[in-house]
Amino acid sequence: MKHVIEVRNLCKEYKSLQAVKDLSFEVREGEILGLLGPNGSGKTTTINCILSLLSFSGGSIRIFGQEMSPDAYHIKREIGVVFQEVAIFDELNVVDNIDYFCGLYIRDKKIRKQYIDDAIRLTGLENYRKFYPKQLSGGLLRRLNIACGIAHKPKVIFLDEPTVAVDPQSRNNILDGIKTLRDQGATIIYTTHYMEEVEILCDRIIILDKGQVLASGTADDLKTLADIEEKVTAKVAGLDAGHLDGIRALNNVDEAAYHQDTLVVKYKTGKNNLADFIDYLKKEDIHYDQIYSERPTLNDVFLKLTGKELRD
Amino acid sequence: MFVHHFKYSVITLFKNKMLIFWVYAFPIILGTLFQMAFSNVEHSEKFHAFDIAIVESDTVQNNEIYREAFRSLSDEQSDHHLFNIQYVTEDTAKELLDNQEIAGYVVLTDPVNVIVNSSGAEETVLKYAVEEIAQQEAMIHTLINADMQGAFEAEQSHRNPEEIYQQAMALIQDDTVNIEDVSGEHLSYIVIEFYTLIAMACLYGGILGMVSINNSLANMSNQGKRISVSPAPKAKLILSSVLASYVAQLIGLFILFVYIVLVLKVDFGNHLPFIMLLTLAGSLAGLSLGILVATGMKANENSKTGILISVTMCGCFLSGMMGVSMKYIIDTHLPVLNKINPASMITDGFYALYYYDTPDRYYQDLISLFVFSGLLILLSIVSLRRQQYDCI
Amino acid sequence: MIVFKTFLKVLYKCKMPVILFTVILILFGVMNDSTSDNTASFTASKPDLVIINQDEEEGITKSFIEYISENSNVKHIGNDNEQLDDALFYREVSYIIYIPEHFRSDFLKGENPKITVKSTGDYEANLAEMLVSRYLKAANVYIRELDSEDEVIRQVRETLSKQAQIEITTQIDGAEISRLVVFFNFANYSLLAGGIYVVCLILSSFKDDNIRKRTMISSVNEKQYNRQLLFSNSLFMIFLWALYCILGSVLLGDIMFTVQGLICVLNSLIFSLCCLTISFLIGNLINNKNAINGIINVVALGSSFLCGAFIPMEWLPDSILAVAHFLPSYYYIKTNECLKQIEVFNAATVQPIVINTLVIIIFMIVFITITNVVSRRKRKIG
Repeated sequence: MKHVIEVRNLCKEYKSLQAVKDLSFEVREGEILGLLGPNGSGKTTTINCILSLLSFSGGSIRIFGQEMSPDAYHIKREIGVVFQEVAIFDELNVVDNIDYFCGLYIRDKKIRKQYIDDAIRLTGLENYRKFYPKQLSGGLLRRLNIACGIAHKPKVIFLDEPTVAVDPQSRNNILDGIKTLRDQGATIIYTTHYMEEVEILCDRIIILDKGQVLASGTADDLKTLADIEEKVTAKVAGLDAGHLDGIRALNNVDEAAYHQDTLVVKYKTGKNNLADFIDYLKKEDIHYDQIYSERPTLNDVFLKLTGKELRD
Repeated sequence: MFVHHFKYSVITLFKNKMLIFWVYAFPIILGTLFQMAFSNVEHSEKFHAFDIAIVESDTVQNNEIYREAFRSLSDEQSDHHLFNIQYVTEDTAKELLDNQEIAGYVVLTDPVNVIVNSSGAEETVLKYAVEEIAQQEAMIHTLINADMQGAFEAEQSHRNPEEIYQQAMALIQDDTVNIEDVSGEHLSYIVIEFYTLIAMACLYGGILGMVSINNSLANMSNQGKRISVSPAPKAKLILSSVLASYVAQLIGLFILFVYIVLVLKVDFGNHLPFIMLLTLAGSLAGLSLGILVATGMKANENSKTGILISVTMCGCFLSGMMGVSMKYIIDTHLPVLNKINPASMITDGFYALYYYDTPDRYYQDLISLFVFSGLLILLSIVSLRRQQYDCI
Repeated sequence: MIVFKTFLKVLYKCKMPVILFTVILILFGVMNDSTSDNTASFTASKPDLVIINQDEEEGITKSFIEYISENSNVKHIGNDNEQLDDALFYREVSYIIYIPEHFRSDFLKGENPKITVKSTGDYEANLAEMLVSRYLKAANVYIRELDSEDEVIRQVRETLSKQAQIEITTQIDGAEISRLVVFFNFANYSLLAGGIYVVCLILSSFKDDNIRKRTMISSVNEKQYNRQLLFSNSLFMIFLWALYCILGSVLLGDIMFTVQGLICVLNSLIFSLCCLTISFLIGNLINNKNAINGIINVVALGSSFLCGAFIPMEWLPDSILAVAHFLPSYYYIKTNECLKQIEVFNAATVQPIVINTLVIIIFMIVFITITNVVSRRKRKIG
């Protein structure tokens, strides 16, 4: 598979802060790559470096096999970016905003008109064509932000946290739109700190922390890194140390932790783990509120790798 | 690309209410205020006949020189009409003065007594006029005495005193003083206020340039980031932004000119091409100031607008907007300040066109403006050449 | 109390623009005071002029120059034509006298030589012209009757020494009082602009849509809340006023500590509070921080120009003054102007001042009422 983007040994400092440390990864054609990491992990900095907006102190960046630079207009033509901040003109209405940014890429007015309609349809803004940004709600504004970034049908699209502070309806619309773009053949680099989105959406995931790659692979690949198979969480009140020891002695239990009335039990392998657990509670006559069992999440992976939660 | 960006830059500028206010509406509002406030000022500088009183007495009745002189000075048909005179008793005169119905009153004693409330313009004129009459009287007496003496010595006793008096009167009324006034016709200094207003509008135009350029710079705005990752060449974008704001600025100035000349009827002299050239240069100076502020410093748009407005207002203050004499004080005491103050260069250029017949000073101002703009643009280019940033 | 605390915090946060703006206003006040001599007061009784003598300074020429110099303020601008023309245009001098070459010899020949002048055509220029023509007239008359130059000079001087005796009835030091009045008239602009700027800046933080929503759903009483805000802002206003008065006593000196000075100070205090209510109204009407600068300039400059804060009221056309009656600034400035004429302070002479003050207070009540109505209307969003 062809590599659309290759980042090699990228380093970037802001004064004393080392934002990106020796970062290397590549993006394959036609995939949705998720860059996952907590706030301040260097996701946006990495993207700005790739786009040649920021200067960097070391490493190289190649897009379509060519060195990226501010003057590499033929590369820029194939790139679409949706920034974290809403980057549109308050003075222009929805159509004019899209037309303006699209017009920086595409000269032909007829094609542009077609492309604008496509972008509006993709983001579900059909009913708001003549609206000014001030009249749009937060979610709609985000959708317009996306429409401005992708209207020119780029081959590579960067989406930097496009769903921050967005209502569920708009979020679903945005995620569906991203899948559509992928299906139409675009390569997508998607940064977020929402691991659920990454799991649903991304073909491959790179977990970043403190400017370094912690792990990369498909969601399933990554989850094996969590080193557990099943996690049972139960709301129980008044558990004492004896009970906890009892639980730890159950079959397959790897780890059991009790904190603020919440019991978390992790299993390495297993069959009937939940049933055993409930049997134990019944036997000891412990009252419980809710119990659920789940497969490990990316958060567990992150926790395992860094010792801290992804969301703090 | 160029046209596309230009078109949308113009639309964006015209849709920005703040900009429209500062660049288009504010100078017009201020101009209207100037017109309202100053319309009477130069008028008040000119003479108006005012009310005085003369205290009735026998002396007044008998002194023909005074009577005749006051009569001529209070003649409404005459060019020398100075006073409206009432002949009253001393008590009435006092009362009139206390009620401020007259500027002062005259009591014919030797020397003549002039009673006024305070020292001011009208009071001074009254004093001068009365003195003039007293001096004429003295002159006539001197002449008559000399004549009488001459006649006596020549033993021409047939000459009668009345004849001599008439001759003396004729002599002093023979107005032969040879004074030629060569002052130019353009002396209205209130026009300076309007020139500073044009200067202000030119410099405020810089706000347009600043906003427009900020919109295209990655380190200044989010839109700028988006524009920077597009394949549009930066130089083209900046140039088209600058051109768009220059055009928007000139439209604003055109409207202001039409308003000032046609509605407020301010005299700009008769050098239309020169005025246009100066306006173009002035706007360019404003634009370059805006560009420098846009590129040279990292602050949000509001602070930058604040800086441009403050710089412009201070410049205009120094070039005489809040009091015309300020410009003269700076010109004579600290000329360097006005040599680097674009508002002053613009104002001075208009002034030179209005007041002077020779164009030297005008060209000097024009060249200063171009040099100023060139320098600022050069400084901006240094910062504009950057394509990548350490931090955005 | 909590409102006041927050007010202080917000004020502290905006300290830079507030300090900057205050300094600029104060600076304008100082500069206005120091340049006002040329523009605002007419009291000079001697014209400013320049004599350019191209003849030798001998005999009749010398005497002529001496006479003019004694009765006017001769300025030395230099011989450069451009400098002279500039000085004339900007009213540094009102009159320029060019004495031609051979003036003396031509005059003695009885040829009545021509004197060239440049004039601004204003009142001072007229005085200067009177001086010149007076001398020349007398000299022309005597040269025909008398033979020797010395005799002519002597007679002319004798004649021109005849002067009227001037009796000035007023006890008021006109120049000082008018300086005081000019200074406090300018305060109209400073107080209005400063007040609107700061109050609106702070109110726009308090009245920001989200904060306003949060305040509205809290248990605080709307009227009480507004009252506390008004009180907090009045402290700043009083600070601004005090600053201006202190500046005044530094610049103007003793005149500030007379009855007139006291009235100016009290008048400006009441006007400051009126500015506060105006600012409060504007701040409640407009929540947009960007619009503040524009509004200050329009309101402050507008009422200053229309009501005669920058140029004397008596120079304004009647139509403008008629409009000015609808602005509180008019009554403020009117009170200041009254001081120029009052000789003795008694019930009758002080009456107009009391009326003006009452009008300002009525304006304040009206503004506060409108503010309350507006603020109540705005309780429902959208």
